[in-house]
Amino acid sequence: MSTISIKNLRKTYGPYVAVDDLSFEIPEACVFGLLGPNGAGKTTTFKCMLDLARATSGSVLYDGAPLVPETFERIAYVPERSVLYEWMTVAEHVEMQRRAYRGFSVPRAHELLAQFGIDLRKKARALSKGMRTATMVALAIARESDILIFDEPTSGLDPINQRHVLNLIINESARGATVIFSSHQIGQVERAAERIAVIDRGRLALEGAVDDLKADRKIVEAILPSENFALNGLVGDPRILRLDRTGRIVRALTLHDASDVLAKFEALGASGLRIVDLNLEDIFLYAVSPADATADVVEGR
Amino acid sequence: MPVVLTVDPRSGVPIYLQVIDQVKRSVALGVLVAGEQLPTVKQLALDLTINPNTVAKAYRELERDGVIETAAGRGSFVRGNGVAETTKAAATDVARDAFEGAVREAKSIGLSAEEIRKLASAAIDRWFREDA
Repeated sequence: MSTISIKNLRKTYGPYVAVDDLSFEIPEACVFGLLGPNGAGKTTTFKCMLDLARATSGSVLYDGAPLVPETFERIAYVPERSVLYEWMTVAEHVEMQRRAYRGFSVPRAHELLAQFGIDLRKKARALSKGMRTATMVALAIARESDILIFDEPTSGLDPINQRHVLNLIINESARGATVIFSSHQIGQVERAAERIAVIDRGRLALEGAVDDLKADRKIVEAILPSENFALNGLVGDPRILRLDRTGRIVRALTLHDASDVLAKFEALGASGLRIVDLNLEDIFLYAVSPADATADVVEGR
Repeated sequence: MPVVLTVDPRSGVPIYLQVIDQVKRSVALGVLVAGEQLPTVKQLALDLTINPNTVAKAYRELERDGVIETAAGRGSFVRGNGVAETTKAAATDVARDAFEGAVREAKSIGLSAEEIRKLASAAIDRWFREDA
């Protein structure tokens, strides 16, 4: 069992900053979703967590201690790209894993591979992209590890097998394993993850429990009496994270106090007041959209 | 009777609140009766493909609200004692949420308190007509 702490992690490749001052914590037995646009630094973060890439500065701690070989052995990692050997059969991969990892369960691997409908006799080169992903996920889960790090564990899979991978993740978490996974399919993260972090251009844009983020963040929508109507006291209100105006319609992204903000709009004489719930995709898009664009909208009264 | 719960993870309503609402609704409707066992946290998480800690959080709140009780090692059950009270409270919770939503919506599109009151009493008259 493990709590993983990422502290001020920074990784540069020459002049390119892949990860910049990243800090967050993954509690024990948590399913943690890592989200971010392409090239945001998700894979680099995983590599630094596993010491497959050496952090330029900062640290990754497992129960307060740096990664040691004994901890590394307890981590099952599924990378984004296939690491299967093209000329080897699935059965030979199972055998190789059995030799490599002490906790590896051959019956469990066979059971999982059968659930995905994977033929043990097939060579890796004969597997589709989705079936390669499924094979890697099955081999990782059969290790019965304390910590699972999955980089895009559903890529290339059909919806039925995607759902199956999510249920496997949920099952791992229910037995006490800590699972951290990335996915571009926000709907999957929304289902399986208890907490998320959003990374954007190497930096932490947002972090928290999915249900808390949804409960705390609402859109207050209002129709103003006129296009040039002054929003006295609302611009700069700490409860409003951003304010978008389009003609007479104003949308405020609020933190914690949507009803108070709504009352304030009402007091100003706005009509058509509405509190709109945000799903994780909305929250993600707000987190990664450039803040300076917001400033323009606010200024452009 | 198997418990049929559904959640919409893509909604903006936190999933644990959806689970709480559905269990309360099921109790209010008598689909879940006193003493009936709920699925285990793990089973419900797998049935709905949602996070187990999210289910556990919903169960904790349902326990705090007196809707269910959990016996260590045996699972979670709909409260036997004062189930009539629980049922009434659960029904009131569900109805209040629906009603508040409707009033907020009506107000936001510009109806006055008086107009909303008229709508509410017309609706009550229509649905309770057979009682008159």
